[in-house]
Amino acid sequence: MRPLTLTRLLLRCGILAVILFVVVVVAMKLGAVQVSLYGLGRDLISVLLHRTSALSSDYGMIVLGIRLPRILLAVFVGASLSVAGVSFQALLRNPLADPYVLGVSSGAALGAIVALILESRLDLTPEMAGLITPVGAFLGAALTIAAVYILGRREGQIDSTTLLLGGIITASFLQAVIMFLMTTLSGNNLRGSAFWFMGDLSTPQPRSLLYFLSFGFIIAAGAIYTTASDLNLLLAGEKEAMHLGVDVPRVRIVVYIAASILTGLAVSVSGTIGYVGLLVPHVMRLIFGSDHRMLIPASALGGAIALVIADTLARTVTSPTDLPVGAMTALAGAPLFIYLLRRRIA
Amino acid sequence: MSSALRHPLPGDAPRASSDVRLSVEQVSYAYAPNPSQAPLFTLEAMSFQAKPGELVAILGPNASGKSTLLKLISGALQPLSGRIFLNGFETHSLAVKTRAQRIALVQQESRLLFPSRAWEFVIQGRHPYGGGLRFESEEDIIIANNALAQVGASELADRWMDKISGGEKQRIILARALAQQPLLLLLDEPTLHLDIGAQVDLLESLRRLAAQNRYTVVVVTHELNLAGEYADQVVLMHRGKCLRVGPPATVLQREILEQVFQAPLSVEMTPSGRPRVTLFTNK
Amino acid sequence: MYYPGFSPVFLFSGFSRHSRQGRFVLQKLEKALRRVRVFCFAALLLGALPLHAQSSTPAPASPAPPAMREVVDEFGRSIRVPQLPTRIVSLAPSLTETLYALGVQDRLVGDTDFCDYPPDAQKKKKVGGPINPNLEAIAALHPDLVLVTKEINRLDTVRALDTLGIPAYATHAQTVDEILSTTQKLADLLGVPETGKSLTADLESRLTALHAKLESLPPSRVLFVVWTRPLISVGKNTFIADALRRADAASIVDATQDWPQTNLEEVVRLQPEYLVFAASHPDSAARDFEALSVLPGWQLLDAVRKHRFAVISDAVNRPAPRIVSAIEDLARQLHPAAFQDSPATEKPASPASAPSNPRGPTPAHMTLEAQPFEMEIACAR
Repeated sequence: MRPLTLTRLLLRCGILAVILFVVVVVAMKLGAVQVSLYGLGRDLISVLLHRTSALSSDYGMIVLGIRLPRILLAVFVGASLSVAGVSFQALLRNPLADPYVLGVSSGAALGAIVALILESRLDLTPEMAGLITPVGAFLGAALTIAAVYILGRREGQIDSTTLLLGGIITASFLQAVIMFLMTTLSGNNLRGSAFWFMGDLSTPQPRSLLYFLSFGFIIAAGAIYTTASDLNLLLAGEKEAMHLGVDVPRVRIVVYIAASILTGLAVSVSGTIGYVGLLVPHVMRLIFGSDHRMLIPASALGGAIALVIADTLARTVTSPTDLPVGAMTALAGAPLFIYLLRRRIA
Repeated sequence: MSSALRHPLPGDAPRASSDVRLSVEQVSYAYAPNPSQAPLFTLEAMSFQAKPGELVAILGPNASGKSTLLKLISGALQPLSGRIFLNGFETHSLAVKTRAQRIALVQQESRLLFPSRAWEFVIQGRHPYGGGLRFESEEDIIIANNALAQVGASELADRWMDKISGGEKQRIILARALAQQPLLLLLDEPTLHLDIGAQVDLLESLRRLAAQNRYTVVVVTHELNLAGEYADQVVLMHRGKCLRVGPPATVLQREILEQVFQAPLSVEMTPSGRPRVTLFTNK
Repeated sequence: MYYPGFSPVFLFSGFSRHSRQGRFVLQKLEKALRRVRVFCFAALLLGALPLHAQSSTPAPASPAPPAMREVVDEFGRSIRVPQLPTRIVSLAPSLTETLYALGVQDRLVGDTDFCDYPPDAQKKKKVGGPINPNLEAIAALHPDLVLVTKEINRLDTVRALDTLGIPAYATHAQTVDEILSTTQKLADLLGVPETGKSLTADLESRLTALHAKLESLPPSRVLFVVWTRPLISVGKNTFIADALRRADAASIVDATQDWPQTNLEEVVRLQPEYLVFAASHPDSAARDFEALSVLPGWQLLDAVRKHRFAVISDAVNRPAPRIVSAIEDLARQLHPAAFQDSPATEKPASPASAPSNPRGPTPAHMTLEAQPFEMEIACAR
C-alpha cells in the first residue's frame, strides 16, 4: 500500500517540468528563422535583466518577440485545456468528456463572431480592437456557462446527466447560429474564423491579456486542485461520495465554473483546439493513475508539453506556411485515441 | 488483530455502553416527484432504538420503505416529522464530513469509472478525517490495513477492483466503511448478490465486528432467516408502516409474517432461541 | 505523511506528524511549493513580455533613420511609413501584380505562395499564404512596409504586424474605379506617382473606349460561376460584379453577400444568356463546362444547351490593373457584334515581351495585352 505523498508528487511534477523546459527550449530554436541557442540564451538573460538594448543576435527580436510569446501561449492553452478536460471527465463521470462538451467553446466562438461584427461597425483604437475578440469570446463563454448551468440543474443541484445533455444541446444550437451568421453576413472579417475553428496560436496577443490569462489560470486551476481528493471519491459515485464526506453540490459548482472558465480563457485566445483536453488526461492516467492530486498537475504540464510540440510542428512542417495547430492535434490525436480505445481505457 | 485506533470524537459523552446510541423517534417521510402531485410514498411515523454492539435488521418485502428508512437514518434524507439521533446529535443536521465520520453506508455495488486497486478504495474511507488538500498519513495507512484485516481481505490489497469476485468486492466495500471508524454501520441489502456461503460469512463478520468495535449495525434485508439468526433486534416493515419492533423471536411469528410476505410459512424455534422460518407447502 | 526517517518535519519538534497542526503546516507547504512552480512560469512569461513595449521596427541599425511620414490607408488607419519604402512585402497576389505593373518590383522582398503573376513573382521569397502568413518569415525580411487587402487578408494579421511595429498598409477595392484609384494611391505611397498616373490614364482610356462601344447594346444576362458544387456566384458589391457591369454583363445573382450560394432552380428560373467562368487555362474551363453540362438539371438551361459560355482569365479575380484586359476579353465574347472592326482599334499585342522587364511600365502593358491574344489563339485551336 503506497498512497501518494507530497515528495512523490513534487518529484514527478518536477520531472514533467524539466521535460517542458526542454521542449520549450527546442521550440524556441525551431522555426522559419534559424537561431543559435547560445545567442538565444544570452538574449533571454539580457531581457530578463531588462537590458534590451544589448540584443546580440540579429534575430533575437524575432524569437523573443514573436516565437516566445507564441510558445508561452501554447503552454497556457495546453495546460488550461488539459486541466479542464480532467475536471469535466471527473465531474460528468464520463471518459469521453472534453472541455468543449458543455458548449463553452461554441459560446466563445459566437461571442468572437459577434465581436468581429461589432468591431467593423464601431471605431476603435488599435489596443481596443486587439482586445475585442478575446473579450467577446470570453463573454460568450461566460453566458454559455450560465445558461448550461441553469439547464443542467435538477432539483436545484447540478446533475451530471442533465448537465451533459444540456451542454450538448446548447453546443448544437450555438453552432447552428454561428453557421447562420457566417453564411448570411459579409465574409470579409469572418474569413479568419475558419482558422479560429481549427485552433490558431499565431496571433500575438496584447500584454495585458497575457497577464490576465495567467492570473485566471492560477486561480481557476488552484480552485479545482483544492477539490482533487473529492474528485477521487466522486468517481466512485455521487451517493457514495456524499456518504464519505464529500460536499457534492459545492464540489460540482466549483469544478464546473472553474473548468468552464479555463476553457473559456483558452478558447478566447486560440480558438477551439481539439483532442488536447480529451487525450492528455487519459495518457497521464495511464502513466500516473487516477489519483487527481497527481493527475491534475500532471495533466497541466503534459498538456503544455503536448501543445508546444504540436504548435512547433504546425509552424515548421510546411514552412513558411502556418498550419492551424488544431489540424496537428487532430492528426496526432486521432490515432492516439484509437490506440487508447483498443486498450480499453477511454 | 488489534482494534482500530480511535480518537475520541466531540460529542461522545462518556457513557456506559449499554446506553442508547441510535434513536429513531416518530419519524415519518413523504416523497412527491412533482410539487403539484400528491406525495407518492409515505413512511408512517415509527420509532425504535439501538445500542452499541447491536445488530438491527430492517426486514420487509419489496417496496416496504426499508431503503427509505435507511436513507433517513444515514442523514441523506430529512424526515418529514420526528427526529433521528445518533449519540444525541440529529443525523441530518450534521455537516457532511462529520456525518461521514460517524455513519458509514455500505452500498450493494460500486461502479468505478476508472479501475483502482483495493487498498486505494479502502483508504478512501479516511477521507472524512482530512482537510481540503491532504495526503494520507501513516495513521490512515494503519487504519486501512486494519480494516482489510478485519474483513479477512488483507491479501486482496494490491488487486484491481475490477478483477475480483463479487464476494471479495463486497468485503472490500465493507472494509472501506470500517476505515471510516463509524459509530453506525448501515448496509442496504448486502446479501443480494451473494451465495449462501458468502451471506453467512458476511453476517458472521458483522456480528463479530459489532461486538468487537462496539458498532451499531443496521442491515436492510428481506432474508427472513438471516435476520432471525443474526439480528439482536428486528424492525418489521410493510407498506411504509412499522408493524413490529423487537427481538427476532417476538417479531418473526407465523401470523404476522404470512400477512406481510403473502406466503405460507411456518416458524420453529431453534435450540439457541432463534426462530427459523420455512416455507410451508400443503401437499 | 513522510516515510519514517525521511522527514524534515522531525526537525520541528513542536509539530508531530500525527497532530493536526503538523498536517496543517505541511498542507501550507504543499500549497506554497505549488505556487512557487507556477510563479516560475509566470516569471518567464513576464520576462519575455517587456519586448512588446518596443515599438520600433525590427530593421537592422541603418546609418541614418529614414524620413517617415504619416499616411492614411484605405481602411482609415493612420500609419507611419518611410518616405520611400525600399523593402516591401506583399500579402496578396493582386498587390504583387500591381507592384510589377508600377515597375517597383525591385523593392519587393517577399510575397505569398499564391503570387504567381507575373512569373517573376514566383521567384521572390515566400512568406506563406495570404490568410496565414508566417510572421517570423515576414519579420526576418526586415520590411519597412507590408501591403494587405481587405479582400483576402485577415484582420488578425494586420493587428499582429501592428504589435510587431511593422507598418501595414491596407487597400480595399470594391469597384473597378476603386482598383484604379488604389493603384494610384499605391503609386503615391511608393514614390512613383507619375508612373501611376500614366498607368491609370491608360486603363481609363481603354475603359472609356469600351464603354463607347457597348453603350448602345443591352447588357447580357450572365451567371458568373465561382464554384459548381455548391453553386456559388458573386455578390453585387464585389469588384468582380463591377467588372462584369463594365463588360456590359449583368449578373443574375443579386445578393449583398460576397460569395452567395445559389441553387440551380433559381438559375433555371432566371435563364442567364451566358455562363461565365474564370480560369487560368481556357482548356480546363472548357472541360469544366463539359462536365457541368452532363450534371442533372443543367440541361434545363438555355445557355448550357446552346453552349453559351464565356471563359476569361482569372485576372478577373484579382483587383489589379490586369482586370481591364479580362473585362475587354469578356466584352468581346459576350458582344462580338460590337467588335467587328476590332483589330484596328486595339493596341498591337506584343507576344515576345519579356515578362520581367524592369525598365518601366510599358513592358507590363504589353504583357497585359499578350493575354487576350494568347487566349484567342487557344480558342481557335
